[in-house]
Amino acid sequence: MKLILLLWQREGISIIRNTFQIIILSTIFLLGTYAIYYGYSKITEQQKTINNVQQIEKEEFESYKESFYSDHTLVKEKQLFDIASKPAYAWYRHGYHAILNPHSLAHMSLGQRDIEPYYYKLTGTSLYYQLFQIELANPLKLYAGNFDLSFVLIYLFPLLIIAFTYGLYAEEKENGMLPLLRLQTIGLRKILLIRIGFYYVLIVGSGILLSSIGFLVSRELEVLSIFLWISAILCYFSFWFALMFLLISLKKNSSLTAISAASLWLLFLIVLPAVLNVYANLVYPIDNTSIADVTRRRSLENEDDLNEAKAVVLEYLQNRNDLKEADSLIGVNTMAKAYAAFTALNDNHHRKEVSSYFYQVRRRQKKISLFRWANPAVNTQGILNEIVETDSGIFQSFYQSIESFHKGITSFYFDKLFLNQEITKKDYETLPEFNLNIDVTTRNHTIRSGLMEILVTTFLLFGISLVLFNKTTF
Amino acid sequence: MKRQVFLITGKELKGMARQNSLKILFAIIIILLGFALYAGHIAYKQQQIMVERAQKERRAEWLGQGNKHPHIAAHYGTYVFKPKTLLSLFDFGLDTYTGTSVYLEAHYPHEFMFRPAQGYGNMIRFGELSAALVLQLLLPLLIIFITFQTFTKEKKTGTLKLLVSQGVSIRSIYLGKVLAYSLIIFVIIVLFFMGLYIVGVYEKTSTMISDMGLRILLLFFVYAGYLWVFTNFSVWISLKSSSARNALLTLLIFWIATGIIIPKTSANLGETLYSLPSTKIYKEAIQNDIVNGMNPNDTREKRIARLKEHYLQQYGVDSLNQLPLNFEGIRMQEGEEYANKVYDFHDATLYKKIELQNRMGSLMGFFAPYIAVRNLSMAFAATDWYSFNDFQKKTNTYRRHLIRTMNNDMAKNSRYGEFYEYKVGKNLWKTISDFKYLVPKVTMIFKYYWMEIVSLSLWVLIMFFIIPSSSKNKLI
Repeated sequence: MKLILLLWQREGISIIRNTFQIIILSTIFLLGTYAIYYGYSKITEQQKTINNVQQIEKEEFESYKESFYSDHTLVKEKQLFDIASKPAYAWYRHGYHAILNPHSLAHMSLGQRDIEPYYYKLTGTSLYYQLFQIELANPLKLYAGNFDLSFVLIYLFPLLIIAFTYGLYAEEKENGMLPLLRLQTIGLRKILLIRIGFYYVLIVGSGILLSSIGFLVSRELEVLSIFLWISAILCYFSFWFALMFLLISLKKNSSLTAISAASLWLLFLIVLPAVLNVYANLVYPIDNTSIADVTRRRSLENEDDLNEAKAVVLEYLQNRNDLKEADSLIGVNTMAKAYAAFTALNDNHHRKEVSSYFYQVRRRQKKISLFRWANPAVNTQGILNEIVETDSGIFQSFYQSIESFHKGITSFYFDKLFLNQEITKKDYETLPEFNLNIDVTTRNHTIRSGLMEILVTTFLLFGISLVLFNKTTF
Repeated sequence: MKRQVFLITGKELKGMARQNSLKILFAIIIILLGFALYAGHIAYKQQQIMVERAQKERRAEWLGQGNKHPHIAAHYGTYVFKPKTLLSLFDFGLDTYTGTSVYLEAHYPHEFMFRPAQGYGNMIRFGELSAALVLQLLLPLLIIFITFQTFTKEKKTGTLKLLVSQGVSIRSIYLGKVLAYSLIIFVIIVLFFMGLYIVGVYEKTSTMISDMGLRILLLFFVYAGYLWVFTNFSVWISLKSSSARNALLTLLIFWIATGIIIPKTSANLGETLYSLPSTKIYKEAIQNDIVNGMNPNDTREKRIARLKEHYLQQYGVDSLNQLPLNFEGIRMQEGEEYANKVYDFHDATLYKKIELQNRMGSLMGFFAPYIAVRNLSMAFAATDWYSFNDFQKKTNTYRRHLIRTMNNDMAKNSRYGEFYEYKVGKNLWKTISDFKYLVPKVTMIFKYYWMEIVSLSLWVLIMFFIIPSSSKNKLI
């Protein structure tokens, strides 16, 4: 213990004296603070939009409810009451919002939240007409990516680890200190490990400190998420330390060690993922051109033909056993029913194409995720996104939940429309609600196995390094 | 002096040829370049096939939609798919982050749908391997690796003193070394761009770009300049550094700061300073202006009343039924024209913000040459924001023409008060020609990238200034 303290004290002094190391540490810390600020401002902006759309929805439905109390003498009052109470007007006008609320730690790893829409306005009209709209964004900004805390931890902290450790052995040799160290009673490997330990504590401590700032600015503290986040960065940093220990164990000169470390950084952070993305483009291309057509606003072939309208309604009712008595009510509001039936049938008709598109998306992501274990950087990014619910998986769940929400909306209005029932004030207490269905078990399993994969790689590297160190000579 | 420079160049080249590690690194770069080009070409072909097929299908749908009222046809509308430019096989640019198709219908100028990145998952944020990425980030790193100890090693072994004592100036040594490394880089990029040109000529199917040769030549000059800057700068750092370790660390920090940190921070800072509205708020503002007017006293009702009055007066009649035109068609087109005005106004504001965001990055090109090269490369490959914007504008013009044609037909040929009674068919649909896109000439986009051109030229110029003068040999 005394030896550890002595060596750590020496390393501490050397850091204080080394302006370059102080500058690099401070710079990364400052960048980390900016990253938290950026992530936080981005999420705050999204939260504002969410509050705004929720307010719009609330006001819209409040006005419908209030219309039940007005005397409907004015045209506008009558119109509003019709929209509020008659399903024939209401089903394509009442706007609901499906919202993917940000996780309390989403600002720390923005993930796909800037690419994927996080809210949708839905009415009873065709789901696919409404599903594929995208959020406004600057493509160059999307290309550059987010400067959030996960970027700092995943891209910049390994550089810190490299900068602090690459010369731990070689520089002693190059400065002529190695013979002196060899004279000591304790082994070189032990000295090296103690010194690496110092930087491990320093860098992991800095990572946790930065993360803690991120935790503190969050709206609420979720213990499990915080625990998982810290575990993820511990595993990731441990991997880089183990990798550096391996490079040091090869006992090459400091320049070659630095070049090798920089090359590995490049390999894990840029080359491997970039190659893999291109490979995925080749092997699992996603054809979105084939489903563009499903977003088309379609209508009946002959909108003035009552018989055609009735036929469409009957076709729809064939699949709705719960609305059997609606057949006899077809004469009332026929065109409104026909249009509603047509959009539902149209969605049914295109369901297969849309499912096939989402299948392509899922297959590509699944196949690519098989390579995650081989790249701890990609693995950690995935884990961090999964912890704070900004990963692509959560958006898949969001889409699926939207489908069932839309089903709920159409049922609510269509049932009343086809059964010639009015929407009453009481019905406003049981309006359809959006529920996000997430498979928490699978998500937790993915996070756990991701962490295990990084740990196993780390221990493997560490074990090899321990053996190599004594075998290689400088 | 020339002879000395060439002798040093020859010596450096021989030295490099003896290093196996450098041979491996060069081989890796060349393999990556080759793979990137191959993969880019496959992706280009795949996308081309998909887009052509989809475009053909939608065209057939438009022509085969049967007989109907022109306004219903205007709602039925059609689609335009964004084709990949041939040079996207070299630089994917923003293709992954811009939408790929747009639905063109009456009343609603839709946004482009389906950003490919949406389906690509988390890993896409790590980037895609394109030949441009290899030249922009990986080759400079290779330059750093081969040059960082070019002077420090000479200093350490004492050969630099020996050379200077024999009358060789630092300037000659410096130029000799720069020439040697530049030659290697030059050979790589000449061969690469020649290959790219051959692929361009071979792919005759692409008619979207009319000035392919010029674009490739410009790309060559941009990359030659950039890589020369990197070579020169790395040799200079080696000259100024006391040890190989310091030179390497300085160069690596420069590479990471200018290639990774500054581009990302500047893009994020731009977004913070000039934030974009959410789609919901943006669309609502547009709808509000359409309904309530952009000026007071310009509400939709008032606009329609004025239009009605104007037509009744013009034709000297008392009611809309007496007009020789269907007023509904006139009203619809007038509504479209007003909506176009509103959309143009809001789009211009939005694009201005995006330009301001991007300008933040362009400004940073003065500190980080990577940004200047990245932006110019996308521009010359026609995969940048302005090229996308041009495509977007042309689809918009096409949409407006389509809707106008439908509304005008309705106004001229149908009667006021009738709707389902009036139907048209293929003869009208055929008057709307298929959408064809031609990328604007490269000379048209220079105005958007003057800052990048200036910053890169400045970097090249600075490199001339840092070449040691022949009278100074004090650095050893």
